[in-house]
Amino acid sequence: MTNRGFEKHYYLMLLPGMVWLILFSLVPMLGIVMAFQDFNPGLGIFKSEWIGLENFKYMFLLSDSKTIMFNTIYIAVLKIIGNLLVPLIFALMLNELRVIVMKRWIQTIVYLPHFLSWVILSGILLDVFAFKGPVNGMLTFFGVEPILFLARADLFPYIVVGSDVWKEFGFNTIIYLAALTSINPALYEAAAIDGATRLQRLRFVTVPGITTTIVLLAVLSLGNVLNAGFDQIFNMYNPLVYSTGDIIDTWVYRAGLQNLQFSLATAMGLLKSVVSFVLIVISYYLASRFANYRIF
Amino acid sequence: MKAVKKIGFICIAILMVVVTACGSNNNSKSPSPAADSKDGNKVTEQPAAADPFGKYKDPVTIRIGQGIDPTDKSLPQGDTPENNQYTRHIKEQLNVDTKIVWQASKGKDYDQKVNLAIASDDLPDLVIVNDAQLRQMVKAGQLADLSEVFDQYASPAIKGIIEKTEGRALEAVNFDGKMMALPNVTARGDAVHTMWIRQDWLDKLKLEVPKTVDELAAVAKAFVEQDPDGNNQKDTIGISGPQAGGKIHANFITSSNNTFGLDPIFSAYLAYPGFWLEGKDGKPVYGSIQPEVKDALAKLREMYAAGLIDREMSIRKDAAEPVVAGKSGIFFGPFWMGYWPLPDAIKNDPTANWQAYALPLDKNGEYSPHMATPSSQFLAVRKGYEHPEVALKLLNLLVRDEATFDVSVTLDHYPVRIVYAPVDEIEFTLQSLQEVLAGTKKPEDLNIPGYKLLVDDANKVTKTKLEPYDKNDIQYWNTDDMGAWSRLYSIFVGGKPLMEKRNEVYSLTYSQTKTMESRWANLEKLETETFLKIIMGAAPLESFDMFVEDWKKQDGDKVTEEVAEAVKK
Amino acid sequence: MVTEKTFGAKAMDILLVIILLAIGLLCVMPIWYTFALSLSDKAAAAAGIVRLWPIGFNLNAYDQIMSDEKFIRSFGISLQRVLLGATLNFIVVVLTAYPLSKTTRAFRPRNIFMWVLVFTMFFNGGLVPWYMAMKSYGLMNTVWGLVFAGGLQVFHIILVVNFFRNLPKELEEAALVDGAGPWYTLVRLYVPLAVPVLATITLFGIVYHWNEFFHGLVLMSSTDKYPLQTYIQQLVVTIDTTTMTEDEYKKLSELSNQTLNAAKIFIAMIPVLIVYPFLQRFFIHGITLGSVKE
Repeated sequence: MTNRGFEKHYYLMLLPGMVWLILFSLVPMLGIVMAFQDFNPGLGIFKSEWIGLENFKYMFLLSDSKTIMFNTIYIAVLKIIGNLLVPLIFALMLNELRVIVMKRWIQTIVYLPHFLSWVILSGILLDVFAFKGPVNGMLTFFGVEPILFLARADLFPYIVVGSDVWKEFGFNTIIYLAALTSINPALYEAAAIDGATRLQRLRFVTVPGITTTIVLLAVLSLGNVLNAGFDQIFNMYNPLVYSTGDIIDTWVYRAGLQNLQFSLATAMGLLKSVVSFVLIVISYYLASRFANYRIF
Repeated sequence: MKAVKKIGFICIAILMVVVTACGSNNNSKSPSPAADSKDGNKVTEQPAAADPFGKYKDPVTIRIGQGIDPTDKSLPQGDTPENNQYTRHIKEQLNVDTKIVWQASKGKDYDQKVNLAIASDDLPDLVIVNDAQLRQMVKAGQLADLSEVFDQYASPAIKGIIEKTEGRALEAVNFDGKMMALPNVTARGDAVHTMWIRQDWLDKLKLEVPKTVDELAAVAKAFVEQDPDGNNQKDTIGISGPQAGGKIHANFITSSNNTFGLDPIFSAYLAYPGFWLEGKDGKPVYGSIQPEVKDALAKLREMYAAGLIDREMSIRKDAAEPVVAGKSGIFFGPFWMGYWPLPDAIKNDPTANWQAYALPLDKNGEYSPHMATPSSQFLAVRKGYEHPEVALKLLNLLVRDEATFDVSVTLDHYPVRIVYAPVDEIEFTLQSLQEVLAGTKKPEDLNIPGYKLLVDDANKVTKTKLEPYDKNDIQYWNTDDMGAWSRLYSIFVGGKPLMEKRNEVYSLTYSQTKTMESRWANLEKLETETFLKIIMGAAPLESFDMFVEDWKKQDGDKVTEEVAEAVKK
Repeated sequence: MVTEKTFGAKAMDILLVIILLAIGLLCVMPIWYTFALSLSDKAAAAAGIVRLWPIGFNLNAYDQIMSDEKFIRSFGISLQRVLLGATLNFIVVVLTAYPLSKTTRAFRPRNIFMWVLVFTMFFNGGLVPWYMAMKSYGLMNTVWGLVFAGGLQVFHIILVVNFFRNLPKELEEAALVDGAGPWYTLVRLYVPLAVPVLATITLFGIVYHWNEFFHGLVLMSSTDKYPLQTYIQQLVVTIDTTTMTEDEYKKLSELSNQTLNAAKIFIAMIPVLIVYPFLQRFFIHGITLGSVKE
């Protein structure tokens, strides 16, 4: 049932959002041209020299650009997976908890680490993984030799991913919880009457009830495939773990210390945007083609 | 479909309006300073004789960006950053009004603000910048050429201080023969990294102060194994290393104040990684790829493996922690450790007797530290600003009257202040204070231009330093006034090694060349990764040879040629 | 809810509680540590010996904060920003989401708008052009700059669109039959039904505006106008001595005051902690849609 007369109301409703979008997102987007320029502030965006893909080539001509690319994607993908699954599992577990007071308390507590910035949290983590820190204390208790965790290139990506998931899962749980509330309780009752066990209810009622949310978050998180998390890594890494921990953002930052790399930074930002957007578009069409489900 | 098109149109129309609006905004803004400058030049040409301290007839306004200390509370009630004892003095003496267009706390925040000002081409009239920013601004043509105004307006005092740097200060601001900014000059005390050691631990274990690297290793071994803190646990560190994000040695870009670095051990092997040195054929060579560095790395690797150097160097959260906690016996740093971290250290353990020495010695029995550039901050003037000479007048006035100011208000509030310190500030202060203690001089005799804190120091020294005056151990100090203690302990204990004879090694250049701008981050990564891995045993010592080859291949040779070019000029 | 009373189910319940409690404990540790640090002696904190219990217990840090007018002023600016920002965010997100939750039959350019939104989610021009735009709009040095700076929260819109789309169609049709217009339908029908997701985005809006610190640094020309997190951020820095000049040594001892910094971080968290339970009940319990379906 449609009513054409409603469209003008719809435009009206969109107006404030669109003005906001144009002024604060679209207009500054002109700056993307900097990615193809040798940006000179004295000349500005309109007069700086055009150098085509030079900025992108520069990044890929580095001796270790492959490593940096790989590190970025590897850490980012692990984070995407962890940040989707752990909050989901946690939300489901919380959903099964019957003591409401406890549910609320635990939920509040786990969301706390989100509020500590990486500057603070990295300091705490460095202590936790220190030679005399609690993790090594536990290892010694089980008779394992203490390990210099943050000097180990082979462990570094996992420490980064693990601590990021730990920091964010409580906060990420919120979206799932909101989705869980919209499941019709009548469905649970019906399932119980049919004699479904707890696990069956979980599988046939709860999970299908939030599938759309899961798919939505999964698709959107693809946009982070080149975001390995600058703040975190910058505050935790050291030259010993460059081989597995140096990512595009930390690299661009170090390059920018030598020379204010306005154009290089824009180029890398653009690269990330293009990759993210392409992935999103692909997964959007895959979802609508095969699952007949439109994400947005 | 019609409606879609319509909306599309509207969007585009709005976009166009906005874009042209900011476009025209920019256009109308950028030519105006140029127009001003034409008029401005005519005005400034009128007065014939240049007076370094001349008062303007009509008030002149400076628009500045100001770096501040977020913890500062020194301004008296009613005073503001734009109206305080310093700005009033400037108004009175020069008829110059101060307008702060933005402020940010010094360090990262301030740099961010400057970078944005550069990128958006919206500079304050006067701004303090670092080396990378300066080069960017010169490249973008944003700065006024100060060559002439410097010649005309720099006071003899400032010229004298700059001359004493033997051309290093001027070289830092020299772009194709033009002086594009005013360089600061810091006392050379910051540059010299000395050995700080727990004298009380030495005494307890009946050890002598180590003179060579081998003796240093032996002492460190004793500190680790013989329980100097007496808690029956093997929990002490011989030699502290840098923290996460710290450097194992200074380099030509950040050449001073590398606290907790291992610089003195490198220089004991006459190795100067990160510095540009004169090769045997007289041409510049890069210090990090010299064979001496390999020797130093081999020794450091051996010491690390033996547990003499902090196991957690370069991954530790805070290198100062073990020092403050009384768990570390030796670290390297400049003279000013009395300000930090030692106050907390002696609060935890009042008997922690930290003393500093110009050690260890090299194979010739000499102390040969690397030295820093005297200039790392620059006062730049926006191109087109009508009164570029204001920059010099402000600094002239600062240097002339610095010693007469009430120091309880931090000098950060002096607009665009850059440091002009006599190179020998620390040494001279120490000497003078010893004379005050000996009774041969009085505080009133010490009102000497340039040595701004000397009178204040002299007034406090008799209360803070206890007898016997020739001993600096911690028990001969009064720690009631921690502010005075910090300063004077730094001067007496940290300054003492500066009086010893030393072989100073300077870098041939402290600035970057063209290729470095694009390649240096890469080369530096290669270097820091290799060195740290060698020391901490994650890579064999032989990987050094591989590093040297890679370094040369990856444009290191090209960079070296450019440095040779730059040095020739 | 239906409960089972078998032994297995009980054991599982207990196991669940234990696991959740363990996870909760793991998450509360860093906060507790920060709290312990804020109550410790400054020198003990600098020595890194404080663990889970304050050493040299004192309240100096809190005394100092309470007497620091800058901290309190920043607090006020942050409150103002959150109030304006989260409200505006809420209104605009709801307004934008509603038309976009329609099918292309009901609102033909729907997909175009949607894709433009998604596009802006991933592409941006970088800091410098954004900064110049903010400047030309005259949004420097005002709380409005902070409110608008983050741009439209597309992610929030997508969440709400999805929630709206999953609401039973019959509802709206019934409303239409009764002669309700889109505004009425949105405000009276959709908004009350979407409370869980709206609570979620409200929380996100509040948290975003409370935590965001970079815009404060860039848009404010005076530290007096900083919002709280910007003010705190400038104090909590890792000390890099290599870039210091002579006169900055003095401030090192202040900057390395970890107890004070810990106290500031802790106090800054309190408002979000207070707001949280109020919003939490909406997305933990939600509202039942069952009644509507009937």
